[in-house]
Amino acid sequence: MASTALVRRGAATGRAAVFLSHTGNWVFLIPTLFFFIGWQVYPIFRVLWMSFTDYHFLRREPAQWVGFLNYTNALADPLLLTGLLRAVTFTALFLPGMIFVPMLLAIMVDRVSHPTLATTYRLILLIPAVIPGPLIFVLWKWLYNFNIGPIDYLLIQTGVVTQQTAPQWLGNPSLVLPAIALMEVWWGLGYHTMFYLAGLAAIPKELFEAARVDGANELSLFWHITLPRLRPILLVLVVLRFGTAMAVIDEYLILGGFNRALPTYTWTVYMWDEAFQIGDWFQGYAAAIGWIGAATMLVVVAGLFWVFRNRD
Amino acid sequence: MATGELIELRAGVVPAPRPKRVKIGTIVRHVVLVGFMLIILVPLAWVLLLSIKSIPDAYRPGFWPEQFDFSHYSYAINNIPTLARNMLNSVLVTTCTVVLTTICAVLGGYALVHLTLKGRAVVLALLVASLFFPTRVTSLIAIFETQRALGLINTTVGLILPYVTLNLALSVFIMRGIFEQISHELVDAAKIDGAGAWRTLFSVLLPLTRNGIVVVIIVNFVTAWGEYLLGVTLTNDQEVRTLPVVLAGAFGGMGQWAWPRIAAVYVMAIAPGMAAFALTQRWYMRGLQEGALKY
Repeated sequence: MASTALVRRGAATGRAAVFLSHTGNWVFLIPTLFFFIGWQVYPIFRVLWMSFTDYHFLRREPAQWVGFLNYTNALADPLLLTGLLRAVTFTALFLPGMIFVPMLLAIMVDRVSHPTLATTYRLILLIPAVIPGPLIFVLWKWLYNFNIGPIDYLLIQTGVVTQQTAPQWLGNPSLVLPAIALMEVWWGLGYHTMFYLAGLAAIPKELFEAARVDGANELSLFWHITLPRLRPILLVLVVLRFGTAMAVIDEYLILGGFNRALPTYTWTVYMWDEAFQIGDWFQGYAAAIGWIGAATMLVVVAGLFWVFRNRD
Repeated sequence: MATGELIELRAGVVPAPRPKRVKIGTIVRHVVLVGFMLIILVPLAWVLLLSIKSIPDAYRPGFWPEQFDFSHYSYAINNIPTLARNMLNSVLVTTCTVVLTTICAVLGGYALVHLTLKGRAVVLALLVASLFFPTRVTSLIAIFETQRALGLINTTVGLILPYVTLNLALSVFIMRGIFEQISHELVDAAKIDGAGAWRTLFSVLLPLTRNGIVVVIIVNFVTAWGEYLLGVTLTNDQEVRTLPVVLAGAFGGMGQWAWPRIAAVYVMAIAPGMAAFALTQRWYMRGLQEGALKY
């Protein structure tokens, strides 16, 4: 009672003062906006501007405006088109494992009723999530190693392959993308499982009980209760992971290098190579490659939103 | 929809008490789960074991060494010339990044939830958009240009500025989710008691958001500690580089870079994250439950 009166009195102060105090609130956002605009928003538009110039980093002459020349050249460049196709291939290899394996795992972990066991499973699942990505890639580069890696050793021991036929996971063009996709699934296993567990925890358990009483089997429980309830999480995961999968670069630089014959030489590696390594660093062209890759991604992300749109 | 029908069905039927016995399904589930746990743990056990194998054992196939050798850790620190420096660089860059990002996220998340802001929607839309755009790759060329203009190319400290943005949007969203769990009545009550926006944040809300802050710190620690792309692009000399960049360039050979020695470096590189997580996991898990995952 007393508080309402006080709130009213607060609201009665002059409009100008209210406006001023609201402007002052922006102070709280200054640190965020400083970094966000300075190192994310501005660079993206700066790169967009660069993509319309013939900017070579190592040349003395100032950059000239060339219009859409970089874009027309890039779109006719087989290396870029192959690079985009390779990124799509990787995404297709990686997304199903990334979406469905953690979902299954989460459903299983969610059913564990023993509290200690449930916590232990969750903690172990989160271990890869607290190892930074690039260090995961270094580890798997060693795991896949032909000489000392344990994967080939296991395969030889179990008689799947012999010393002579043991696969070179990262050197073989048809194996390297699946190998990297497998590594990504391993890395994201815990993190994505936690996402699903959060979603599963929000489903009332009575729904399952009621459906079981009604004679529903596990499959129809999954199909009619779990899956529809997990759809918002599914959407976030698919879109976020699609973005990361299309724009993967660290993995390719660490595990693949700059061998153009390998499928790891995608548009991102091509952009990096062109901007910081080849010739006199034709950054104008590299910028165009970067924006073409980003635009391709945005189109598909928009498509995904359309596919997952709320039909209710 | 189906769920609605099910609720109606339930109203009429009282579920029978289920007999308490271990079902085959439960056993199969635990076997599968333990299998997954092994898939996660075995690669890590392998690298840990590699770091304490004697050198001949390391180059011989097989998991269990015939002879252990625990000297690789001290050898790596003393004999890989830049290693101590690289570790210090990583600590410096990570600490500054985590502190700055956490400050940004707390202030930003608070303002976006509990303060009146004209134009809040614009900020939110920009932050969301940045999550769906391959910012890290596309902005790289211009970040290089900016850093060069600021004279920060090939310096360790220079890395902090772009590192802050790596998880900035995500961190702001995490804190926003956490602040949304706090009732507006509490904030209003503080206002009525005469606390300004800053006092409200620091003395009333901050203690309530501890778990969320732990999540933000861990997420940013992991990203900054292991960052590779910016590190390899913006620095050149091995002594200014961070640990992961050096480690990614290292390849098992002879001498300093013999396999068990770089495995020891690797274990030292992933240990801080594991330790930090082990120490804070209680708050981390609670933070996740309190809304850190609901952005």
